[in-house]
Amino acid sequence: MAKKVLIIDDEPDMVTFLSTLLEDNGYEVVTAVDGEEGLDKVKSEKPDLISLDLLMPNKTGIKMYRELRKDPEVADIPVVMVTGFGKDDVPSMDFKKWVHERSIKAPEAYIEKPVDKEMLLNAVRQAIG
Amino acid sequence: MLNILAHLLKKFTSSLSFKLSFYAGLIMFMALLAFSYHSILTHEQNLINRMIRGAVKDSGVIKAAIWNSMMTKDRELIRQILQAIVREENIEAINLYDGKGRLRYTSGSGSARLVAEDDVDPKIVGLLASHRVRHEISEDGRSLRVANPILNTESCSTASCHAHPASEKTLGLLEVKLSLASVKKEISNSRRNTIIFAIVLFLSISTMSGLAVVFLVNPGIRKLQQNAARMARGEYNPTRPTTGGDEMSQLERAFDRMSREVNERTKQLEASRKMYKALFDDVPCYLTVVSKDYRIVRANKAFRNTFGEQVGKHCYAGYKGLESKCVNCPVERTYADGVSHQSEEVWTVNGRKAYVIVKTSPILDEWLQVSEVLEMSVDVTRLKRLQFELEKKEQEYRYLFENAPCYLTVVDRDFNIVQTNTLFDRDFGEHTGKKCFQVYKKQDFKCSNCPVEKTFSDGRTHHSEETWRRNGEATNIVVYTAPVRDETGHITAVMEMSTNITEIKRLQSELAVLGETIAGMSHTIKNILCGLQGGVYVVDSGLKHGRQDRLGVGWDMVKNNVEKISDLVKGILYASKGREPEYEEVDPGELLHEICDLYESRARSDGVELTRAFDSKLGKCLLDPAGIHSAVSNLVSNALEACRKGDDGRACRIIVGGCIESGRLFLQVSDNGSGMPQEVKEKLFNRFYSTKGGKGTGLGLVITRKVVEEHGGEIHVESTTGHGTTFTIEIPLKSANTDDGLKAAV
Repeated sequence: MAKKVLIIDDEPDMVTFLSTLLEDNGYEVVTAVDGEEGLDKVKSEKPDLISLDLLMPNKTGIKMYRELRKDPEVADIPVVMVTGFGKDDVPSMDFKKWVHERSIKAPEAYIEKPVDKEMLLNAVRQAIG
Repeated sequence: MLNILAHLLKKFTSSLSFKLSFYAGLIMFMALLAFSYHSILTHEQNLINRMIRGAVKDSGVIKAAIWNSMMTKDRELIRQILQAIVREENIEAINLYDGKGRLRYTSGSGSARLVAEDDVDPKIVGLLASHRVRHEISEDGRSLRVANPILNTESCSTASCHAHPASEKTLGLLEVKLSLASVKKEISNSRRNTIIFAIVLFLSISTMSGLAVVFLVNPGIRKLQQNAARMARGEYNPTRPTTGGDEMSQLERAFDRMSREVNERTKQLEASRKMYKALFDDVPCYLTVVSKDYRIVRANKAFRNTFGEQVGKHCYAGYKGLESKCVNCPVERTYADGVSHQSEEVWTVNGRKAYVIVKTSPILDEWLQVSEVLEMSVDVTRLKRLQFELEKKEQEYRYLFENAPCYLTVVDRDFNIVQTNTLFDRDFGEHTGKKCFQVYKKQDFKCSNCPVEKTFSDGRTHHSEETWRRNGEATNIVVYTAPVRDETGHITAVMEMSTNITEIKRLQSELAVLGETIAGMSHTIKNILCGLQGGVYVVDSGLKHGRQDRLGVGWDMVKNNVEKISDLVKGILYASKGREPEYEEVDPGELLHEICDLYESRARSDGVELTRAFDSKLGKCLLDPAGIHSAVSNLVSNALEACRKGDDGRACRIIVGGCIESGRLFLQVSDNGSGMPQEVKEKLFNRFYSTKGGKGTGLGLVITRKVVEEHGGEIHVESTTGHGTTFTIEIPLKSANTDDGLKAAV
C-alpha cells in the first residue's frame, strides 16, 4: 500500500509541483494550504510523512510544528521542512535554534527551495522507505 | 723782592699762629684798655672829690680865720689873712662878696686887695639866695671854684657895730678858686702808664700765644696735613696708635680712625669697580656707553671683538651704516626723559643682517642729570628667525584650521566657544562666547554623551554622532574631539571637528535598503523560479504519463510565473526609472469604477464587501490615467490581502472613496483588515518589502508613491493593528491652461 504524504504549503504552484512529483514516485498525496488545515489533515488522514512550509499565513509552519510534536498521537510522524530560506538565512537558523533550545525533536530533513527533486525524494525515502 | 716780602707777609698773616696770637693779644689789649679807662676815670673823680672836700674845708678855715676881723671890721687884717692864704699852693684866688653880691675883697697872683665895686654879679646873687656851699669846675677843667656863704649868726645881729638885722640869712659869700693842674698832671701820668702797660701786655700775650701755636699746634697740624696728603695718594696706613690725652692726640686718633675707614671703603670701591668693569667687559652682549652727541665713549669686549674699535665714532655710523641717528633712537629718548627705552634694530654684523634688541639705561651724575647713556644690545637673529618660522607655521595651521572642510570650534571647560573656523562662521554665524550645545543643538544643557567632556577628563580623542536641527532640517553630524594643550601639557581647551555626514547616512540607509531590496528580489525570483520549476515538472510529467490534465495545469503554472516575471521586470523598471506622467483629461470617478470592477469578483470570492463611496462623475481632471490606475489598484490589492490575513470571522469591508476639494483630488482606500504594526508601516514604501510571501513583488506601494509624487501629490497612511488601514492620496490638480493648451477639467 502506497505511503501517504501530507503536503502543507500556501503556494498553490508548490503544492501542485510536490503532489505531482510524489505521486509520480508512488506516494499517495494529501494537501493543505496552511498550518491550521494541516493539523486537521494530520489527524484525519494519518499521513506517513509531512512536508511542511516554514512561512505560511494563519498558522506558520513553526507554530504547527510545535503543536505537532506536542501531540503524542502524531508526534512521531517524520517531517521534511521545505523552506524558502537557505541555511544561512536568519529564520531558518532561528528555527533550528528554537527546536534545539526547547529539546523538541528536530525535523527529519530540511529541504531548501527551489526544491532539488532527488534530494527531496531521498529524504522522503530515508524517512519512510 | 717786594713781591716775595708781600707773599711772606700774606702767608704769615694768614697763618693760624698769627691769627691766634693777634686776636688773643688784641682782645687782651682791648680789655686792658677798657679796664684802664674805667680805673683812670674813677681815680680822677676821687682826686677831684678830694680837692673839693679840701677846698670846702679850706673855705671854712678861711671863713673862721677872717670871722673875727669881720666882726671888728678890720678890713686890712682880712686882706692880710687872705693874702697869706692865697699864697698857699693850689689856691688861685679868694674873693669875698657882701650880702648884696658886691665884690669886697679879691686876691689873685699872690696879692689881696680891697675892692669897692657896685657891680653885682647875678650868679653870685643866685648863690647867696641858696644859702648853701657850692662848688664848680671851670669849663676848661683847670680850676675849681668853691662858694661858701657867710651866714647870719646871733653874734652878728647883736653886734653893736654894724649890726645886721636877724632877718638877713646870708651876710656875704666866700669864693675860693683852686687850680686843678696837679690833679691833671697826676691823671695824665697814670693814663700814660696804663697804656704802656697795656701795650706791653698785648705784645707779650700775642707772642706767647703765637709761640704756643707754633710749637704746640703747628707740628700736629703739619703732621695731619702730611698724613692727609698721603691718604689722598692711598699711601697712608696708620700702624701704631697715637698716645697722649690732649685734643691734638684725640684729633690724630680720630684722623687715623677715619683714614682706616677710608682705606677700607676705598678697597671695597676698587673691588666693586673691578667687578663692574669685568662685568661690563665680559657680559655676552654688546654694551656701549653713548654720549649726548651719539658718540661711543666706551665699549665692551664683545662689541670690540665684533665691530672693532668704535670708541669716539658715532653710534649710528660704524655698524649701522647710517648717516644720521636712527629714527626711533632710544638713546635720544633716554636723554630726554631719563628712563630706560627699548627698540628693535637691524644691524650689519660680520656682513650679514642681524636683528638686535637695543635697551638703554641712563647714567646719572651727582646732580641726577643724565650724563651718559648705557646701550645694551642683544643679537636676536636666531630667535627672530625662529619667530618668523613659528609665525609662518602658525599661519599655515591657521589656514588649515580656517579652511578645513568641516566645522571646527575650540571650546573651553565651560563649553564656551573660543574659536571657530570659516565654514562654521558661514553656516552658523558669529557665536564666539556662546555654549557649543546652544549653537549646535539649540538646547540649554550639554549633550548626554558629550565627547568634549570625555576629552577634558582623559585627554584622548573621542567622537560621537549627533543630530543637529537647523531650519527644521535634521543634519547628521559626526563630532571628533581632540585636546588642546598648553606648554605644560595641561588641557586648556578642546577642539571639536564636526563633519556633516547626512549624505553618507542617506547613502548608508540607501545601501541597507538596497541590500534588503536585493534580498527581497531574490526571494521573489526564487518563488517565481519554484513555480516555473514546478510547472515544467508537471508538464514533463503530463507528457511522460500522457496526462492531458497535468499538461494544462503545468502549462498554466509556467504562464503565470512568466507573467509574474514580466510584471516584476516592468515594476522594477517603473520603480527605478523616472517617468514623465502622460497627462490626459479623465474623470477620476470613471477610473475608480474601472478599478473596482477589476477587483469585484476577487473581493466577492474572498467574502469581502467592496464599497464605492464616490460620485461616478467627479469632473474632468488632468491625470496620467495608467499611473493612477496602477497606484489605486495596488492599494485595493493590498486591502484585499489585509482582509484575507485578518480573516477572523468579522465581515470584511473595503471602502474606495474619491472627491475634489479646493483644487485637490483626494483618493482613499480603507479596509478593516489586519492593520499594520509600526515597524511594517516604516518599511511600507521600501522597494521589495512584501508581507505577501511568494505572492508579492514588494514593488506595489513603491510604484504607488512614485506615481503620486510624479503628480506632485502626497500619500498618507493610518493603520492600527487588528483594526485596519486607510491610505489617502492627495494630488493638486493641474490647470489645463498651463499644460499643452488643454481645457480646464474642473
